[in-house]
Amino acid sequence: MNGPTRRETFLLGAAALVPAGAMAQEAPRRGGVMTVHFATEQRILNPSLQASTGVYIVGGKMQEALLDLDAQGNPVGVLAESWESTPDGLTHVFRLRRGVTWHDGRPFTSADVQFTAMEMWKRILNYGTELQRFLTEVQTPDPHTAIFKYERPMPQGLLLRAMPDLGYISPKHVFEGGDIRQNPANTAPVGTGPFRFVQYERGQHIIAERNPNYWREGMPYLDRIVWRVVTDRAAAAAQMESGQLLFSPYSALSIADMQRLGRDPRFEATTRGNEGNVRNNTLEFNFRNPVLADARVRKAIAHAINVPFFIENFLGPFAKVGTGPIPSVSTDYYPGVVQPQYGFDLALANRLLDEAGQRRGAGGQRFSLRLHPAPWGEDIALWSTFIQQSLQQVGIRVEIVRLDAAGFLRTVYNDHNFDLATGWHQYRSDPAVSTTVWYRSGSPRGAPWTNQWGWTDPRIDEIIDRAATEVDPARRRALYADFVRAVQTELPLWMPIEQIFVSVFNRRLRNVANNPRWASSTWHDTWLAS
Amino acid sequence: MRVFRLALRRLAASLPTLLLILMGMFLLLQLAPGDTVDALMAQMGGGDPALAEELRRFYGLDVGVAAQLWRYLVRLVTLDLGFSAIYGKPVATVILERLPPTILLMASSLSFAFFFGLVLGVLAARRVNRWPDTVISTLGLIFYATPSFWFGLMAIVLFSVYLQWLPAGGFGDITQSYTGIAAVLDIARHLVLPTMTLGLIFLAIYLRIMRASMLEVLSLDFVRTARAKGLTETRVVAKHVLRNAMLPMVTLIGLQAGTMLGGSVVVESVFALPGLGRLAYESVVQRDLNTLLGIVFVSALLVIVINFLVDILYARLDPRIAAGS
Amino acid sequence: MRALRAYLRSPAAVIGSLLVLAVVAMALTAPLFYPGDPLGLAGRPLQWPGQNPRFPLGTDPSGRDIAAQIFHGARISLLIGFVATSIAVCIGIAIGALAGFYGGAADTALMRVTEAFQTLPNFLLLLVLVAVFGSTMGTVTVAIGLVSWPPVARLTRAEFLTLRTRDFVQACRVQGLSDAHLILREILPNALPPVIVYASVVMAVAILLESALAFLQLSDPNVPSWGNLIGLGRNVLRAEWYVSAIPGVAILLTILGVSLVGQGLNDALNPRLASGR
Repeated sequence: MNGPTRRETFLLGAAALVPAGAMAQEAPRRGGVMTVHFATEQRILNPSLQASTGVYIVGGKMQEALLDLDAQGNPVGVLAESWESTPDGLTHVFRLRRGVTWHDGRPFTSADVQFTAMEMWKRILNYGTELQRFLTEVQTPDPHTAIFKYERPMPQGLLLRAMPDLGYISPKHVFEGGDIRQNPANTAPVGTGPFRFVQYERGQHIIAERNPNYWREGMPYLDRIVWRVVTDRAAAAAQMESGQLLFSPYSALSIADMQRLGRDPRFEATTRGNEGNVRNNTLEFNFRNPVLADARVRKAIAHAINVPFFIENFLGPFAKVGTGPIPSVSTDYYPGVVQPQYGFDLALANRLLDEAGQRRGAGGQRFSLRLHPAPWGEDIALWSTFIQQSLQQVGIRVEIVRLDAAGFLRTVYNDHNFDLATGWHQYRSDPAVSTTVWYRSGSPRGAPWTNQWGWTDPRIDEIIDRAATEVDPARRRALYADFVRAVQTELPLWMPIEQIFVSVFNRRLRNVANNPRWASSTWHDTWLAS
Repeated sequence: MRVFRLALRRLAASLPTLLLILMGMFLLLQLAPGDTVDALMAQMGGGDPALAEELRRFYGLDVGVAAQLWRYLVRLVTLDLGFSAIYGKPVATVILERLPPTILLMASSLSFAFFFGLVLGVLAARRVNRWPDTVISTLGLIFYATPSFWFGLMAIVLFSVYLQWLPAGGFGDITQSYTGIAAVLDIARHLVLPTMTLGLIFLAIYLRIMRASMLEVLSLDFVRTARAKGLTETRVVAKHVLRNAMLPMVTLIGLQAGTMLGGSVVVESVFALPGLGRLAYESVVQRDLNTLLGIVFVSALLVIVINFLVDILYARLDPRIAAGS
Repeated sequence: MRALRAYLRSPAAVIGSLLVLAVVAMALTAPLFYPGDPLGLAGRPLQWPGQNPRFPLGTDPSGRDIAAQIFHGARISLLIGFVATSIAVCIGIAIGALAGFYGGAADTALMRVTEAFQTLPNFLLLLVLVAVFGSTMGTVTVAIGLVSWPPVARLTRAEFLTLRTRDFVQACRVQGLSDAHLILREILPNALPPVIVYASVVMAVAILLESALAFLQLSDPNVPSWGNLIGLGRNVLRAEWYVSAIPGVAILLTILGVSLVGQGLNDALNPRLASGR
């Protein structure tokens, strides 16, 4: 498919001037093939076993979860129709949708929910194991009711918020009686979703076609979805431009290309539809280095970096200044701008370093540090260079150590062989899912994205534990506000930048980005204009 | 058949080399920080340590290095290349799937470089030290000095994005289902830029060698004799000179086979081709030992086979050489 | 002297020498023209060449002066090229000399090792070495040297095989001189010229390998190498293609110069084959 002719460009440009409301009234067209940029191949495609956006982008169209998010970000039923919870938080009842069948024709029942929850979410699913730690059983009094029983209180808000990502259901009759991990259905998904798996050519593409027996009448509109494996960013941008790709999710293109395509009338580059996929850029300190164990040094480092300048000049319109581990999009838990914050102040940074006893020596240098940047994401590379340049100004020499993914995880989180590290903290709709683990002590050695800094604070541990089991939403919110205040003061790690993933669409696609985790969602109502 | 026996003897002679390579790579990769479970964790975006331990058992990483090496070698004797950690499929299957694009790419790059290197080299030698020679030789040097990945990227920008003559990458247009001739043409279109990118530096090398070789042969006695007999220049070149001048070129093919395979890593990455080169890079990053060793094994075999074929071709071209050498 | 004159008569060789001298000059004058840290924040990122008079070659995605990086990068490229080549040549000569001189079992064993290194795609080995030993400039240089020695070893071995049967060697043997003396003081000086010429090829390949590694983001990010700049420019290739183009041209000219010098040396030292080259 080549790019648009002059006539098409003119028409598209004219269409862009039409108000959005008028566009929405177009009738969905049935048919067409949607080509999606698939940047990192995964080992499996089953979202019940692996919770990552790389799996949802494919598996989430073929398998469905109990809940999803609606346009306002509230939980909406998919495989579950309604739910209720007891006030003590120990029992949660889900009433399941009727008339839903798996792609192989068998009916979807509560037995599937029980099997998936107990054998997959609780045993294997990353972040699911932690979330469902106190799940004792799933009762199935009838084929359309599943009752989750917990031995410790599970706040309903936490469970409901987590379900869209951690609540995917797999068919029991396919997975039972055998090693779940080795099941071929992990790379050839069998689900209830709007698209049916057709083919997976490793290194090339994945193809799925319309499920004619999908439970939503008249949908999906698309005939097929083709995920093309393109690992090179520049090549992917070129394929977007030549029309070979229609959608690139999760900031998989370079920042410059995303901005450039956004200015092109044929495309849209936006954070719309990704508000549920927020991440922070981190700066992690290793307390085992005695220099960094001094809070003044850590705060001086923070003050030495001009974050607004960095965002404006390097990340473009897709990022903003972060104020703590809980991002501003979290309407339930964001505590506002909590003090202390660490604005750019070179004089203060220098003074704090002097006070901490780290005077300038020969050549104006105080001491040197090794910085380990995570090897994913262009923004991390830019950020680590900026850190190096900024700390140079206050006499700290930073050496960047380059490692690949396996090496990075092993060296930082297992061997603890680093001074500074920087990566992403992915906020998964509730602080208890994947945020507080960065601070809570007790994580075993080698567990990535957990507290491996050689630092503990029993007071913060206590706040975290109480908040995880606090059933009252207002009290829970207050506890998390305390949490943010405490960690901002101690600063065992710093989260100064907040980013939402960027999606780049060809404007021919319609009904896109209509919920906060759209790229991970089912796309049952997406259609392609001619 | 004599050729068959020769082939077997050659293979047997290469066995110690193969073993050396495989053991060397195995032990080397053990030293890399992190294992395949760490790589999987990175992909998943999180996971708890109990899971990690279980996965290590699953991938057979819980025993010592010596035990793992022994297990691997024992399996290799039965030509069992093991299971790929990344794909959950037998390594042999994975490699067979990824082999065609790489073979196609290498074959077409080699043909492109050989053919044009030959033609340009002959042209340059025929007009030696005059302006066609200078232009061709300079061009050759520039091609030699150009980083292939840079050329590839610039080619994509020019031919795919601005001119839209050729696709920006991939191995075929999967939104259409082509069959027969249409499918072949489609793949051919997708391979034009990668072939030129990979073949560029080899084109430069063959050009130079051919030119030098031609000049050397052209100054020999038997050529003067042929000219004295009154044969036209073209006939002299085609019948007498070419056959002799091609010998160093043929030898070079064997020597360059390994380098070409290495070069395909970058080219396949730039053009998103699902070949062995990119698979090799993936298996290093994901610490998939079985797949990496499988690729090393297959590529070593490939090089040995190519060298063997080159020797046979050489013997055909030069009757002075006995086929057994 | 005759060789020098033959060398200077070839216009290609002279151009090559000028190019190499230009690169060396850049390397030497870098701290003069661009004092301070070439990797420090100099201005707004991604300014086009000429857009800001302070930055004649523009700025890269991290706001660093490209001209400064080109000058300082000359040092890095030359250093890496030179050291990696030296390592490759030393290892290659050592192995080739021992194999060619002693023959027999030593030769077979050493040639097996050489064959192993040559059968394995060298870029693949490089990837593994970098994954294992890290991406600092030192380890990258050593790794490049480690994958580049086999052709040198073969060349040296071939020379030694020819030379060890010569009369002057037999004469020395009769005199009772030690093997080490024979290898180092008698044969090696005669075997060296073709190896030195080949070293120019090794150097060209070394610079290309480093830039390929940097392109894949596997090289040392703390030094202003040209390859790093190409890798950085990859993300902005479409619109700010100059970030990758400029260091690409620098690499091209450097390798061109080195190759021409090598060719010139070859022609000058082998006058018999110089006719028409």
